[in-house]
Amino acid sequence: MKIGLFIPCYMDAFYPQTGIATLELLEKLGQEVEYPMDQTCCGQPMANSGCNRDAKETEALFIRNFSKYDVIVSPSGSCVHHIRDNFDAIEQTDEVRHVRKNTYELVEFIHDVLKVREFPWAEFPHKVGLHNSCATLRSLRTASMSELGEPFFSKPKTLLSAVKGISFAAPRRPDECCGFGGTYSVTEEAVSARMGLDKVTDHHDAGAEYIVSADTSCMMHQQGCAERNGVPIRFIHIAEILNGARA
Amino acid sequence: MSNRPVPHAKLAAEFLEDEPHRHFHDERLWDMRQKRDEQMHIMPEWQELREQASRLKEHTLAHLPQYLEQFEENARRNGIHVHWARDGAEHNRIVEKILKDHGHSSIIKSKSMITDECEMREYLEPKGVSVTETDLGERIQQLDNQLPSHVVVPAVQKLTTDVAKTFAKYYNTDPNIDDPHALAEAQRNAARPVLLSGDTGMTGGNFLVAETGSFVVCTNEGNADLSANLPNLHIATLGIERLVPRMADLGVFIRLLSRSALGSPITQYTTHFRRPKKGGEMHVILVDNGRSERLGMDDFWTSLKCIRCGACMNTCPVYRRSGGQSYGSVYSGPIGAIIDPTFNARKFSTLPFASTMNGSCTNVCPVKIDIHEQLYKWRRVLAERHEIPFVKREIMKMAGRLLAQPTMYRLAISGTEVALKTMPRFVLYNYLNPWGKHRELPHPVKETFHSWYKKNRLNRTKAQHEETQA
Amino acid sequence: MSDETMSARDVIMQRLKEKKSPQEGAYPLPPVVTLGDQDASPERFEASLALMGGRMLPLQDGEGIEQAIKRAFPELRNLCTAVPEVEGTLRIEDLETHEQADKVDVMVVRAAFGVAETGGVFLSEVELKDHLADVHLAQHLIVLLSKDELVGNMHNAYQQRSEFRTAGYGVLMSGPSATADIQGVLIRGAQGVRSLSVIWA
Repeated sequence: MKIGLFIPCYMDAFYPQTGIATLELLEKLGQEVEYPMDQTCCGQPMANSGCNRDAKETEALFIRNFSKYDVIVSPSGSCVHHIRDNFDAIEQTDEVRHVRKNTYELVEFIHDVLKVREFPWAEFPHKVGLHNSCATLRSLRTASMSELGEPFFSKPKTLLSAVKGISFAAPRRPDECCGFGGTYSVTEEAVSARMGLDKVTDHHDAGAEYIVSADTSCMMHQQGCAERNGVPIRFIHIAEILNGARA
Repeated sequence: MSNRPVPHAKLAAEFLEDEPHRHFHDERLWDMRQKRDEQMHIMPEWQELREQASRLKEHTLAHLPQYLEQFEENARRNGIHVHWARDGAEHNRIVEKILKDHGHSSIIKSKSMITDECEMREYLEPKGVSVTETDLGERIQQLDNQLPSHVVVPAVQKLTTDVAKTFAKYYNTDPNIDDPHALAEAQRNAARPVLLSGDTGMTGGNFLVAETGSFVVCTNEGNADLSANLPNLHIATLGIERLVPRMADLGVFIRLLSRSALGSPITQYTTHFRRPKKGGEMHVILVDNGRSERLGMDDFWTSLKCIRCGACMNTCPVYRRSGGQSYGSVYSGPIGAIIDPTFNARKFSTLPFASTMNGSCTNVCPVKIDIHEQLYKWRRVLAERHEIPFVKREIMKMAGRLLAQPTMYRLAISGTEVALKTMPRFVLYNYLNPWGKHRELPHPVKETFHSWYKKNRLNRTKAQHEETQA
Repeated sequence: MSDETMSARDVIMQRLKEKKSPQEGAYPLPPVVTLGDQDASPERFEASLALMGGRMLPLQDGEGIEQAIKRAFPELRNLCTAVPEVEGTLRIEDLETHEQADKVDVMVVRAAFGVAETGGVFLSEVELKDHLADVHLAQHLIVLLSKDELVGNMHNAYQQRSEFRTAGYGVLMSGPSATADIQGVLIRGAQGVRSLSVIWA
């Protein structure tokens, strides 16, 4: 199984350590991983703005970069959601269908495909608040949703529970959106930032030292809100913890 | 009606500035959502009920002409006058005509979103007809000359102090009352004489039952039962999508409605009207006003399943922080954002963008409308119809081009400083400035993942390869 | 007017038939369902009624219904009755104006049936002797209800009780009038009755 690694644009530019952790983690788990050098973006920003046609060339490039892999893995739930559920600016050829069907978010790839439950090298002696992005929660369904009253499950929590020393904070509104929403974060910046502040405050009040998530975009926004408002909380991607980061 | 796009972002930002209002609004609606969850948890059949409700509504909508005919026939047989209105203006003319025929001029009315949608008060009042809202929340909104903020709790954006000030102006009560009980009592006392003297009662309705020609009104205050029964003339206005086929189907909807809305097992009053009271006259006006057109839209017809419970509003993190007034429409929140553009695509073009598309609305919807997916589809429709701002369209076009060309893209992001120089000013202005208003920017890093990978994997592999060769 | 409304009707019907997106065959009529708890016990009814803000008025030893009402409302002056079991100060049939009803302190009626799931009681023109509005004008409401006339939940109610098909006006009152429209504070007794009490009888 040859894996193509997709590192979304904002992560590439601002959070390279998350990309590195993802790569190293997959390698530790014995996987053959390649990062196609010509990758840029999945097309989501244009599609989510309604400008789906403008996503066409970006989607075509994505297919050129990734169609040769058996699976595509990305440490970004919202990008995977776009590729899987909305990637339709280009014609749906066999290649496109192959890519869409075989693209996984990192947590679900480890949990469902590799079925790995042990990370003996990982130790994170901190109380964390788990932030499930709306894309992972309600589209990729990597955890149970409070609105449906379904039996509890959480793939990210199952993986994190194998990490030595970790403990979990219980925020009041675990499923509440943090307000990032892609371009929403700028088109409605006041509401977006308020939601972000409420989110980080909820985690902080629940005793979380870190917010951990499978979506860096949410955390980029939350971190901005926390720093501006002086909420003392840190942010880390789940890949970094599973890869053995201690802090 | 002004055609200018509703400035939702701006109005929401203004609403957020007042801490007590912002805080109360968010917590109050969140509490309603929590109470809904509690009901769901004690009913193992909850998801089955939602599925049944959705299927019943879809079936009814697919067979709407036949059920409307059946309703009309049965209602007429029971002595109800049935009217049809193609749009709001026609509805208002029908009401005016009925009143004129009776020499009536004072309407006492219970809460109905559809008469607000038809702008009935605005039409009738200049013609000398008094229209008094008898629902407390709707009355507060009427006195303040505002649209309802929420389909179930119309004045939820207000605090007790706001209501005290309004009532002082109209009811001569103390402007400093801080006890909601005293204000509710003031409303009761002010409403009684109006109720007793009104010559025409108006209600909306939650359901039309085709099988029996009945309609059902669900309320909590008792004002609909008073408004409908005190005068000898009762006019009820309902949208044509309110139908259910059979009386027995109400079991499903009544069990879901108030639980989804407020978390109470049922509304205090669930009232079934089937024929006029002794000596009375009853009219039902069936309103289209864009509904038949919506039923023809492949991506959006299921929004007609809505039973107006407001659950999507209560759970919506954007609505809770924006306040209903920021939507500039009778229907606010997520459901408003997908149905308002069917009334006026330009005016409400901003609403499908007033969402993070988190999807919580879809999950709480008792009739399983895929609200967040319709928001996404509306964005596309609006962009294609050029109903989104020019600047946004240009930025997206540019972004699309840049992201499709790896070499140019690498150049553009090769360092934050380079990026700042290469990106046109209007991109920075439209994106970085708003980002930074209430948030810090991400921290700059030494190198991108791309360049790290080149050094640490590609070159390493190359080096290893050369080593092996040597 | 009839021409105009006829044409509106035809226009709407035509629009619906021409433009409809959902295809009839794809959406069959689901069979009627009966879901959830169907317990029709008086205990469940009492618990539900309490949740909806209503209350039970249990008779004390040897006490008649009228005595119990007077005990519950010591200040009572106008007791209006729609039931033979209670004499009251006036009968509902004798109310001539709504203004008279507006002065009623307590109204006594018998419900056709009750719903255990919601604590709701069903009143129609039959029980109200055609005084539909007057019951809602009274300040307080006493409802007589037989334990034999309980249904489990709302599915049972709509399927089993013929009153929904026969009554011209039928209200399921579940507790008294209520509102939470001002700052979310729950207030019992908004526009209609301030309290609703049920007596098993």
